[in-house]
Amino acid sequence: MLDAIVQGILLGGYYAILAAGLSLMFGVVRFINLAHGDLAVLGAYLALFCVERLGLQVWLSVAATLPIMAALGWFLQAAIFARTLRAGILLPLLATFGLGALLQNGMFGLFGSDTKSLGNHIGSLSWSSWQLPLDVSIGKLPTFTFVVAVLVLGALHQFLARTKVGRAIRATSIDAEAAELVGVEAARIHRVAAAVAVALAALAGVFLAMRALITPYAGPAQLIFAFESVVIGGIGSLWGTLVGGIVLGVAQSLGAWLSPQFFQLAGHLIFLAVLGVRLWRTHVAEHGGWRSAVLGART
Amino acid sequence: MSTGAEKRLQLNRRRFVTLAGGATAALAVPASVRSAFAQGDDVIRVGFVSPQSGPIGIFGEGDPYVLDLVRKAVAEGIEVGGKRYGVEFISKDTQSDPVRAAQMAKDLINGDKVDLMLSTSTPETVNPVADACEAAGVPSLSATSPWEAFYFGRGAKPGEPSPFKWTYHFCFGVANFATLYADQWSKVETNRRVGVLLPSDADGNAIRGLLVPQLEKAGFTIVDAGPYESGNPDFSTQINLFKREGCEIFNTFPFPPDFAVFWRQAAQKGFAQQVKICQMAKAGLFAPELEALGPLGYGLHAGAYWHRAYPFRSPSTGLSSLELADGFEAWSGKQWNQQVGATAALFDAALVALKSAANPKDKASMAAALAGLKAETACGAIDFTSGPVPNCTPIGLVGVQWVKAKEGSKHPFDLEIVSNADHPSVPLTAEMTAYTVQG
Repeated sequence: MLDAIVQGILLGGYYAILAAGLSLMFGVVRFINLAHGDLAVLGAYLALFCVERLGLQVWLSVAATLPIMAALGWFLQAAIFARTLRAGILLPLLATFGLGALLQNGMFGLFGSDTKSLGNHIGSLSWSSWQLPLDVSIGKLPTFTFVVAVLVLGALHQFLARTKVGRAIRATSIDAEAAELVGVEAARIHRVAAAVAVALAALAGVFLAMRALITPYAGPAQLIFAFESVVIGGIGSLWGTLVGGIVLGVAQSLGAWLSPQFFQLAGHLIFLAVLGVRLWRTHVAEHGGWRSAVLGART
Repeated sequence: MSTGAEKRLQLNRRRFVTLAGGATAALAVPASVRSAFAQGDDVIRVGFVSPQSGPIGIFGEGDPYVLDLVRKAVAEGIEVGGKRYGVEFISKDTQSDPVRAAQMAKDLINGDKVDLMLSTSTPETVNPVADACEAAGVPSLSATSPWEAFYFGRGAKPGEPSPFKWTYHFCFGVANFATLYADQWSKVETNRRVGVLLPSDADGNAIRGLLVPQLEKAGFTIVDAGPYESGNPDFSTQINLFKREGCEIFNTFPFPPDFAVFWRQAAQKGFAQQVKICQMAKAGLFAPELEALGPLGYGLHAGAYWHRAYPFRSPSTGLSSLELADGFEAWSGKQWNQQVGATAALFDAALVALKSAANPKDKASMAAALAGLKAETACGAIDFTSGPVPNCTPIGLVGVQWVKAKEGSKHPFDLEIVSNADHPSVPLTAEMTAYTVQG
């Protein structure tokens, strides 16, 4: 059981990176990017392209991929998301859904349907581990992913807390119109947030490609984990995303420890439970406390 | 490897050459034959449905290549009962989608009015196509999907007469795996304790119900980690169980991308170091999967339904297995894969069926020809009169091992035949070795 908890926590690190971008988009730009998983896979393919075709070193490829993906995020926000947002909340959902399909088939056209992985380019990192007492072993790659997750979220936290752009992002996320009144250009801030979010998605995609195999159609399956982490951790909260990722990962691995069939089910259940509690709390707040909420529901 | 743009260019050039070749071939046909074919009654129309793009598109990678060879071979038509017929093949891509597979089959039945339907590669392709054909009364022949999935998966009941009148299928089944594994797992000294990892999908449940008891009967101790959902990112529970139980053989039928996640984690937790035979099924059919796994893939074991070293010729393409594999490599620039030969085998069987039909334009006569079909194919001989159930007949499996390619090879992995108990006429190409991490 101890091993299951350890593996779950480490898995949570990957979920956190994946979820951070989704959370940022929702918190600041106020829509759910359904193409987030596909953008992650695109980032992985871009890094693979740098490694396999251009012969770059893996970490150099990752370093080259992130700014390109950030630029793509900037462009997507400017060209697509900002326009669709003007038409309400449904249109961006549809637009990103379509973007996802476009990305999947585009990647299929460019890279083919062969499964690919970055794991074979990082030597033994993808499968070596440290053996600990009590029959616990921790993989080097999951540990590394977790450390990167903490560092990235920490850096992002500092960026939001300390820099001028960061403060503008927070101001925009609280009230875009009020931020405009005090001289923040909200449209630009949205583009910055999208750039950071897509770069984070790409980073998650790179780690996915190191631990697993990717195909052009691997994105949607990842989106669900990201979405669940965001909801569990609290929308728009960075450290909450890490907590959400860890809670999801531990719930899944403990579920699997009970019975292998419960891995995904346990994750979904904890997600639904948290969502239910949140909705109920909102309901309670709107009805002036627990007592009246319960009584009100009865009548 | 070429870039995407180059690839497209090659494709266009290739298409152009194909078209030009087709035109030349058409012109080369004697005028009398050509005019005879102009009448619809003298052309046999054959539909071909396979996944050529999408997640399982790798199965159909060689289909255009094989189809092109077959088209050339029958460019002058075939003779059936003293009458010469033209043969027209209409190929459709399912895009790996079972719903689209059914739609393509209906288009071929209603729009193109095909006389015979062919389909191949995975239950997600052949089952919806066969269902459409059964409903419309169109003869259908399919391959490369375990026959139990085709037969029982579409509603047939064990011990009862076959409910299918129009649809026929040849492929390996559970009994082939049982014979193969009993032999292959005896090639290396082990404690005969087998960890099995089977997902909670149709294949996984079928294998759990049908194959596991047969393996136990053959003297193996089976440790089943229980069903799990495909797409699982963490297998530590299962790996810890196999380790604790001291399993030296590992067998799995996963959704292919899940295998790499499992095996890397198995190496992290010291299970891969303990395993002597790692027998993949469903996963490990194609070299790109192994290449993505890297050096951890050297020495993994699998089963194969065709290999370039098969001693059989493919009558429909006129090539030996070796020529077929080499031709595919030259055509695609990629390493050969086992579906190339299996697709050729489907055409081999289809042409024999067409030639043996009393009247290939008559659906009932065509179905009768399928029911009694005996044919030599690239995968070996098939015989529908010998069972195991009226609509299905098996082909043999060989045991293979992925090994590090020899110096100077264009590809990182080679596939060696190491066990032939289930298909004795295929020669071994190497002696099986135990798995060791990084070969």
